[in-house]
Amino acid sequence: MNPIALCKPETNPPMPDYIASPLSRRTLLRRSAVGFGSLALASMLANESSSRASVDNPLSPKLPLAAAKAKRIIFLMMSGGPSQVDTFDPKPLLTRDDGKPLPFAKPRVQFNATSNLLKSPWKFRQHGESGLWFSDLFPRLAERADDLCMVHSVHGTNPAHGGAMMKLHTGSDNFPRPSIGSWVSYGLGTENSNLPAFVTICPTLAFGGINNWSSSFLPAAHNGTALGDASVPSDRASVKFIQNSKLPRDLQRLQLDRLNAMNRRHLSQGGADASLEARINSFELAFRMQSEIPKVEDLSGESATTRKLYGMDDPVTANFGRMCLLARRFTESGVRFIQVTHNDDKVQWDQHANLKRDHEKNAREVDLPIAGLLTDLKQRGLLDDTLIWWGSEFGRTPTAESKDGRDHNPEGFTMWLAGGGTKGGFRYGSTDDYGYYAAENKVHIHDLHATLLHALGLDHERLTYRYAGRDFRLTDVEGNIVHQLFA
Amino acid sequence: MYVVVLLMSAALGAGEPAGDQRPTAEQTRFFETSIRPLLLEKCLKCHGEKKQWGGLRLDSRGSLLRGGESGAAIVPGKPDKSLLISAVQETDNDLRMPKDGKLTKRQINELVRWVEMGAPFPTEAGTAKRARGPNHWAFQPPDRPPVPVVVNSVWPQSALDRFILSKLEAAQLSPARRADRRTLIRRVTFDVIGLPPTPEEIDAFLADESPDAFARVVDRLLTSPQYGEWWGRHWLDVARYADSNGFDENIAHGNAWRYRDYVVAAFNRDKPFDQFVIEQLSGDLLQFDKEAQQHEQLIATGFLSIGPKVLAETDEAKMRMDIIDEQLDTTGRAFLGLTLGCARCHDHKFDPITTADYYALAGIFKSTLTMTKYTKVANWHEHLLPSAAATAMKADFDANVAARTTAIAEFVVDADKLVREKLAGMPDAKPPEKLETLYPAATKAALKEQRDELAALEKAGPDLPAAMGVTEDKVVDIAVHVRGDPLKLGDIVPRRTPPIVRGPRTPQFTDKQSGRRQLAEWLVDPQHPLTARVFVNRVWRWHLGRGLVRSTDNFGLLGEAPSHPELLDWLAHRFIDDGWSVKSLHRLILNSSTYQQASIPASETISRDPENRLFSRAEVRRLEAEAVRDALLATSGQLETTMGGSLLQLKNRAYFFDHTSIDKTTYDSPRRSLYLPVVRNNVFDVFQLLDFPDPAVSGSNRATTVVASQALLMLNSDLVMQAATSFADRLLVEPADVDQRLSRLYVIAFGREPTGDERQADRAFLIGVAQAQACKTDDDTSRQLAWTTLCHVVLASNEFMYVR
Repeated sequence: MNPIALCKPETNPPMPDYIASPLSRRTLLRRSAVGFGSLALASMLANESSSRASVDNPLSPKLPLAAAKAKRIIFLMMSGGPSQVDTFDPKPLLTRDDGKPLPFAKPRVQFNATSNLLKSPWKFRQHGESGLWFSDLFPRLAERADDLCMVHSVHGTNPAHGGAMMKLHTGSDNFPRPSIGSWVSYGLGTENSNLPAFVTICPTLAFGGINNWSSSFLPAAHNGTALGDASVPSDRASVKFIQNSKLPRDLQRLQLDRLNAMNRRHLSQGGADASLEARINSFELAFRMQSEIPKVEDLSGESATTRKLYGMDDPVTANFGRMCLLARRFTESGVRFIQVTHNDDKVQWDQHANLKRDHEKNAREVDLPIAGLLTDLKQRGLLDDTLIWWGSEFGRTPTAESKDGRDHNPEGFTMWLAGGGTKGGFRYGSTDDYGYYAAENKVHIHDLHATLLHALGLDHERLTYRYAGRDFRLTDVEGNIVHQLFA
Repeated sequence: MYVVVLLMSAALGAGEPAGDQRPTAEQTRFFETSIRPLLLEKCLKCHGEKKQWGGLRLDSRGSLLRGGESGAAIVPGKPDKSLLISAVQETDNDLRMPKDGKLTKRQINELVRWVEMGAPFPTEAGTAKRARGPNHWAFQPPDRPPVPVVVNSVWPQSALDRFILSKLEAAQLSPARRADRRTLIRRVTFDVIGLPPTPEEIDAFLADESPDAFARVVDRLLTSPQYGEWWGRHWLDVARYADSNGFDENIAHGNAWRYRDYVVAAFNRDKPFDQFVIEQLSGDLLQFDKEAQQHEQLIATGFLSIGPKVLAETDEAKMRMDIIDEQLDTTGRAFLGLTLGCARCHDHKFDPITTADYYALAGIFKSTLTMTKYTKVANWHEHLLPSAAATAMKADFDANVAARTTAIAEFVVDADKLVREKLAGMPDAKPPEKLETLYPAATKAALKEQRDELAALEKAGPDLPAAMGVTEDKVVDIAVHVRGDPLKLGDIVPRRTPPIVRGPRTPQFTDKQSGRRQLAEWLVDPQHPLTARVFVNRVWRWHLGRGLVRSTDNFGLLGEAPSHPELLDWLAHRFIDDGWSVKSLHRLILNSSTYQQASIPASETISRDPENRLFSRAEVRRLEAEAVRDALLATSGQLETTMGGSLLQLKNRAYFFDHTSIDKTTYDSPRRSLYLPVVRNNVFDVFQLLDFPDPAVSGSNRATTVVASQALLMLNSDLVMQAATSFADRLLVEPADVDQRLSRLYVIAFGREPTGDERQADRAFLIGVAQAQACKTDDDTSRQLAWTTLCHVVLASNEFMYVR
């Protein structure tokens, strides 16, 4: 029996995807009425949003409106809190007043006690035509200065890792809420019907764990799909249950055909039920995902030059470099939100002590791969509609913890964006003279979320979901778009 | 953006100024979400109740129209003629508002839009604290409606059926025919005990010709201990049960399982629901006769303690209020079907719950001790549950530790003596503070060994039986926290229940007790409009797939109205009249014609009742996560039915996850799913994929999704592969031919015999698999593989995963 011969051509168009799955009766009937699979994703979503709007909330046409500047986001998550005053936000007064007390009050709530000001052990220089500042920690990234849009005045997470991580990912630090990637998935769907819209590579299971990529009350199809977790090196990270360790593919095909026949018969025996039909389709989609995901993960077709660009030839950068390269490949495959987490078996950037030694180690691991990702996306023309977002759950205090460390600081820190319609070589906002508090043009984490959604053409006030009797948003009742960041 | 604004305005009826007409629901919504908060935040400080700068007030439509010294603030329908608009647009240099910074473009657009639509200004909340929707049905005590008269007198088996039939007849529809017996026993068995019927149980039911054959099945199931395991799990959804605290420092609730076992036992013993409520909220305050009863009641208060907490929250005042908020919100959802948490920062936007109502209830929980320490990492309180056996065990342990400690001390004394004797021979030597450093290597090693042993012993010491739960704290009334901020305190509010709830007697709170007892008794007052309704509606939902009120956790103004309000009230009264007996409620529903309908609707029903709001047929339902796993284990003969106890591999308060992200929890037990650890932040992946609810949130209405990742689970996971292998073993171990095996396969998995066509297709499939493997293995392996592969298909099929 020739296994190839068993693979029938698909006579029915596949269920359009991942999105087609919140199985309320109403949704299903609506979908069935317009025909499963007969519509392009975009129009189906448009259809869904307009009918939802007419049923639930006329004030909330839900989707978009404004032209999108970016089609997708890559979030480079630096777990633990890199220090803003040692990376991108130089403070001459901090250097001058090293060892003196902070001349103004510290926040009411601090994570640990800190003592006096501690100057940065690194030199800062200006780079590119724009003259953005970089410390010597990021020599390769500095070469891409004119692509970066620095936001120096981010604030408003939480002083502890757990609360801050959840705030960063979901906008809430004490209730489970959908992750930003899930909102993007819900709002935009995926461009590739064989892949999810939201992928997270090697996320940490600590500090909120799966809550940070969970769809929470949004339909399960919008859950982030995790490739491994932070305990797994990226070359072994993959999606759960994506491969069968025992059954060869030809036997699985036989199984699917028998399963399909059984399910069709079962369907014909009872009252029509859309979820039974959806489930039949889901197996075909799963079978296609099984070949699609390994294809994206297979780096064998990447040239030596490309691998080198991402630092995959160097053990220091190889692990994170692979994640960045995977991010580019998911980008090309139509995934909307790709998160890459830099997290070792401690909390990577959490330097309560040994700032010099460990920040140096951490920066070395990511500097070249990130610069490589930017270069690669740019040369492939992908940077125009891919928004890179670099950041962490908080920054660090300019004051010293122990002798050579810094404490958590959610009061003012730096994130940067690149591509996706943002202004290159641009600085926005600032912290005070010592880099403790956001001072000018403050960007609360809700504002940042609103701005990221805006870049994708999503209105954070209209991207709502009705749950437990009320409409929820990523930005709760807050959020101002920072229009100045866009060209 | 411009287009959208126009569209929205059109939808809201721009161009037809609302005048003094009542604002439409959409206008109210827009006003309440966009305009009122804006006025409150940006304008009312200077133009409100306290101050009226320039003679202007902006807190009612009247005062806006009246205006101030510069004239009317708005001209409804004409933003370009409205001073308010030009002031916020800052087009006139002399009149720019607000003083502390220009509004955002969005805020200005919204004000323009609002004036365009005629400046509708719903009169509630802002100016006066008048309750919204005081006459909302759910806040009034249930009626005692008459049982309706119906035309078809044959179909109804009970009053319940008459309520359902009456609506169907009014819609000129007929109920679906009765489901066949095989369908019924499969449905009711999964429904009541969460497991599939055995072939023997099916045969017995098919052979029972007595008229009450089905009622006897129901009775058998309700007396099975597995009933409590399944229905207890439903309650655990409501109680947001978990074995870890979740969120940031994710550590083990090593004793939460006692609460889980308490819930299982409560259902099995048909503990009256009112008693169940009282124990969970105030078990520590109740009288008891025996120690066992005392323990049970203490364990019950775990309900208030097992919620998610941010244990490393650095703001201790915030942590304390977060925990109270979580308790209050869960209590509200679990018993009242209301989202009380909304009122923490502002009056509830949609329900008549004010911040004062919220802090009046919060005082009860502030007077309750949940935590022993709020400093990070915070600690929750546990009740010790002393017993003779535990006390003896502890005494043994203490004696053992004491003996070893003494032995080590004696060893040190002896060794020191030897060292001193040696030093005595060396007059110049200056003895160090600790002589240990001078011990010979062998002595050092021996000492270290003894110490290590002691340390290991202490580490492995027995935890005395203890249960998570709450007790009384200093009794206080607390102040309104303005915008939820623990630093901005308003008036102190005495503890009380929300006045909007009509019916029960108003409880008296004293300065001697937190008031949990009074709160619980208020909840189960027979006149309470919510508690019984919310619970019977949930039981209906769990049996029939959707509630009479479909938003089972929200009976507030944004919840859905009941499809059968009279039936809901009738059931609530009946439930209370039956002594709050949950099992009686089950019998009432299960023995109805409504429940026993087939899933195939009568011919006209599909178009006329497409969403089955009239309960004109049974729902086709996928098994819930735990039932999928339990059915896989039961079908493949692997299920172990031991009840109770803990399967946690971690000690109490140990970390589930530290920075390494390594998952130390395993789920390969053959026990029922109920007993697997529920780890917040990292729920067992099989459950996650099959719509297990977020264990950080109280809920009773699980979603059912269909996503490709579920199909991957069914195709590739060890759980399903192992079940297929064991199932095949089970079929192959008995001597039989292919046809007999196929029969057995279908009866065990689907509760029915295969048809001729199915036999043929399965035979072809078995041959296909065998042929594909023919050259690679011997016959036995090939046969085993073929049957395993077929079992795998059956276990993944819709007929296995769904109940009709």
